[in-house]
Amino acid sequence: MILTNPLFWFALLGLGVVVLVVGKKMGLLNNTAFAVGVSVVIAVAYFHIVDHYLMDMQGLDYWYLFRK
Amino acid sequence: MGSVTRKKTLSVIALSAMIGLLLLPIIVAIPALASGGGEPAAGAPPAEAAQKEGAAKIEKARDVYYKTEGIVSGAPAPKTADNAQFYPRYNFESRVLLWFANQQHLYYGSFVLAVPIFCMVIEFIGVVTKDKAMAKKYDQLAYDFIKISLTAYSLTAILGGILIFTFLTLYPAFFGYLSSIFRPVMHIYALMFVAESGTLYIYYYAWDKMKEGLMKWLHLSMSVVLNVIGTLLMFLANSWIGFMMSPAGVDEQGRYLGNIWHVIHTALWNPLNVHRILGNMAFGGGVVAAYAAYRFLSAKNDEERAHYDWMGYIAMALGVAFLIPLPFAGYWLMREVYAYRQQMGITLMGGLLAWLFIIQATMIGILFLSSNYYLWQALGRMRGAERFQKWIKYFVFILVVGFLIFITPHTIVMTPAELKAMGGQQHPVLGNYGVMSAKNGGINVIITTTVLTFIWYMRGNKVPAVSWSKFGNIFMGVFFFFAYVNIIWLAIYGYYIPANVRVGLSVPQVATTLSCLFFMTALNTVMMKGAKQLGPIEWGKISVRSQYALIMLATAFTWMMGLMGYIRSSVRLFWHVNEIMRDNSPWAYTHTVGFGANMISFNVLFFWISIMFVFWLGTLGAKKAPVEAKVPVPGRAPEPAVGH
Repeated sequence: MILTNPLFWFALLGLGVVVLVVGKKMGLLNNTAFAVGVSVVIAVAYFHIVDHYLMDMQGLDYWYLFRK
Repeated sequence: MGSVTRKKTLSVIALSAMIGLLLLPIIVAIPALASGGGEPAAGAPPAEAAQKEGAAKIEKARDVYYKTEGIVSGAPAPKTADNAQFYPRYNFESRVLLWFANQQHLYYGSFVLAVPIFCMVIEFIGVVTKDKAMAKKYDQLAYDFIKISLTAYSLTAILGGILIFTFLTLYPAFFGYLSSIFRPVMHIYALMFVAESGTLYIYYYAWDKMKEGLMKWLHLSMSVVLNVIGTLLMFLANSWIGFMMSPAGVDEQGRYLGNIWHVIHTALWNPLNVHRILGNMAFGGGVVAAYAAYRFLSAKNDEERAHYDWMGYIAMALGVAFLIPLPFAGYWLMREVYAYRQQMGITLMGGLLAWLFIIQATMIGILFLSSNYYLWQALGRMRGAERFQKWIKYFVFILVVGFLIFITPHTIVMTPAELKAMGGQQHPVLGNYGVMSAKNGGINVIITTTVLTFIWYMRGNKVPAVSWSKFGNIFMGVFFFFAYVNIIWLAIYGYYIPANVRVGLSVPQVATTLSCLFFMTALNTVMMKGAKQLGPIEWGKISVRSQYALIMLATAFTWMMGLMGYIRSSVRLFWHVNEIMRDNSPWAYTHTVGFGANMISFNVLFFWISIMFVFWLGTLGAKKAPVEAKVPVPGRAPEPAVGH
């Protein structure tokens, strides 16, 4: 499942940052819909990466339930 | 000009010589420490006699923790019996006397170790602050801090003496064994105490003489030396309790194996060091905040009130800054306890002492609720902060829900009949409550909300003026929202996965909270650069209730410190040194929760009565109003120490 692959969340985080930079150049930063969208993408991707890697560092599988 | 330079150079040389002399005993002692203390420990044959007996007599044994082989260099741990030879006594419980002496020494010791660290930070801020009026205010504040700790320092030394006499007279066999193992460490400890005292006195009395230019930097460097010595002192003392809980460097009979580093560096030494540093800082902040609250409440004019309001705020902010990571350090300590001896961890958190952790959770909750309450009250001294008031009720709701989850016990005390009626210790429905997965969620929600409160406090009378402020606000809101979602999700997720996987979920939960603390505070600081001020901070114009919150905060710190010390010590059960030296005194049993709580309360009461005396002594020498502690000019807010 793609959701259990940390690379997917890294890609999403990267996408969020790229869109943020592009949005800044286009003067979209203070557009509410743009700000909410980018923030959600970055925050969700970031917390998934945190959950995945901090469990992985302990030798545990964060996606245990999803894999079963 | 030339004479001034010469005078300065001579002062620098004199100061360096003085510090050098103070540190000389420690430097001289280092080779002895490196060689494992020189002389063998108590009971070992003298070196010459050992040589005569020849190499064939050398006995080797295995370290109980490191599992390395070492030459036996000490006597086995004494096998004690319940008699006056091993346990001389009055017609009273010796353990209670020792408990009292130990706890009072610890309270004062923690205080005098923490306050110079605050002092160093505040003095540094004063030195680098460009605004001269503010620089003087910070300097005066640092001086106020060290003044309080100086009187407390004498009391610490006196209490240390009382503690040693109590050990020597009531537990001579145990203390003899411990000092035979730690002999070189104890000598270095004593010498470092001399160095600490000397540095502290020079630091305090040279304050006015060293107030400008290079001399000020030298004075500041002295505070660094002072704190390095103080911290090392605490590390050495921690090695004794670490050894008592998780001995190393000895064989299974308790014989010293010649490696002093193994004895010091036990399994729990580092977690204890980190936990105690943070705990001392939080406690020190609490006590200074209570002092400021006391001075605020007894202030005779607005000028004094403004000064002590500011002092209380800074002390509270420093205390809370160290309170926030404290539960995480506690988790680390507990994990190491479990890793060292699983049974010890179970005794602590799931067995005999588990109910004390419910009380601990209650105290932690009270600490965070008091801190939040103080910050909400403190919004009242800022014009423009009224816009946040309407949100406070939601914060209260979140905090209370987190608090209730955090303090819910997993099992309850029941009679056999009740147990039978319920069908076992675990109720089919209620058994789902009070598990660590949920509790971790509860405390992380509380801490994240405290971070949010603090960020709002930093924004109290300001509106960000950066061009991307709308994006910044939305990003911050979304980040906090998903942080809450992640914490709660992990808490719920824990119910659906096996225990060996669930146990790891606390780490990403903590990381989520810390992400909010570090990233959002940093983002907020950037956003607040050049922010538009809605009005001044009117120091001194804060409700009286807020000052009682500070006193509550300090009392809760003191009570919790006593409680945690009791828990940590009790986990050894009937051992002086865990699995090495048995406690055969008539008091080698665990007290009831009620007795423990009463004893802790007595210790807290005694500490606060005695520290009030110290506060009162502090007021005798300072009858005039604090220097440069003027009420700020309307429209221009002085900046407190934490970047607000």
